[in-house]
Amino acid sequence: MTAVQLAFLVGLTGVLAAVGWFALTVMRAAARGDGGTHLSVSLLRRLGRSPQERAELNRWAFYLHRVTGMAILGFLCLHILDVGTYAISRGTYDDLHELYGSAPMRVFESGLLVAILFHTFNGLRILAIDLGDLGQLTARRLLVPVVAVTLVLGVAGTVVIMAPVFS
Amino acid sequence: MTSLGQPVSPRHRPGVRWEAPRPAGSRRARAATYVTVRVTGLILAVLVLGHFAMTHVVTDVAEADAGFIAERWGSALWIAWDGTMLTAALVHGAAGAWIAIEDYTADRARRRRRLGLLAAATALLLATGWATLAVAILG
Repeated sequence: MTAVQLAFLVGLTGVLAAVGWFALTVMRAAARGDGGTHLSVSLLRRLGRSPQERAELNRWAFYLHRVTGMAILGFLCLHILDVGTYAISRGTYDDLHELYGSAPMRVFESGLLVAILFHTFNGLRILAIDLGDLGQLTARRLLVPVVAVTLVLGVAGTVVIMAPVFS
Repeated sequence: MTSLGQPVSPRHRPGVRWEAPRPAGSRRARAATYVTVRVTGLILAVLVLGHFAMTHVVTDVAEADAGFIAERWGSALWIAWDGTMLTAALVHGAAGAWIAIEDYTADRARRRRRLGLLAAATALLLATGWATLAVAILG
């Protein structure tokens, strides 16, 4: 392993740790300020009620939007630096880029794709909520296509990204 | 029990300290952030998904090496694509992180420190990204 590869992996570990810490911050603030959105028996009971009353899911979408947003931003910072090595020397870039083709990185890339897909389509949902002045119920119902598109494109993309590992 | 199955807020629970969130910044500044996040987000919905498809689906990531970049940056369209994406993504991400920091940092001095750090890091990354593009194109 070369020095730039090691530096990249250290950076990636840092990004993942920061995302974990941020997710914890979001959940802790949620439990304190929003009235107990932490996983509990009463929350599960709320989520299990009839569809009209599942507006609580809007809130979970909000938390997921924040955490995926911070995860994507974390990777973006690292990505700007790793592409920056291209300006220094193409050899250094190719050296570093070899990591992207490795199996563990492909798993990470698949996860990144799912995060990007959710953040994108949930973002479009937020735009629709604002522009169309939609209520809580319609907003919650729009989560169905958001999650469906995320899952379908996410699984399809994961198959494409992971395929070279198994062939 | 409230109508939409909303939980009882801890502010009504005895013994739990709760502070009302104070929106930071002027009304105009917040409106500007709001519009910026949405406009850049809409741009990124196209550019980032296109970028990901280009580097992971159309081309396998293992083949997206230095030669692939050199080929792409030989075209003005891709330089414009990447330059716009870089700027929009950093502005969008920084604005989002700005809001998150304001939400989760109650201490004023610490908040100012974190926001300053965010602004500095964003400027540095923006400069790095643009310098990479400039060196790659001119060099």
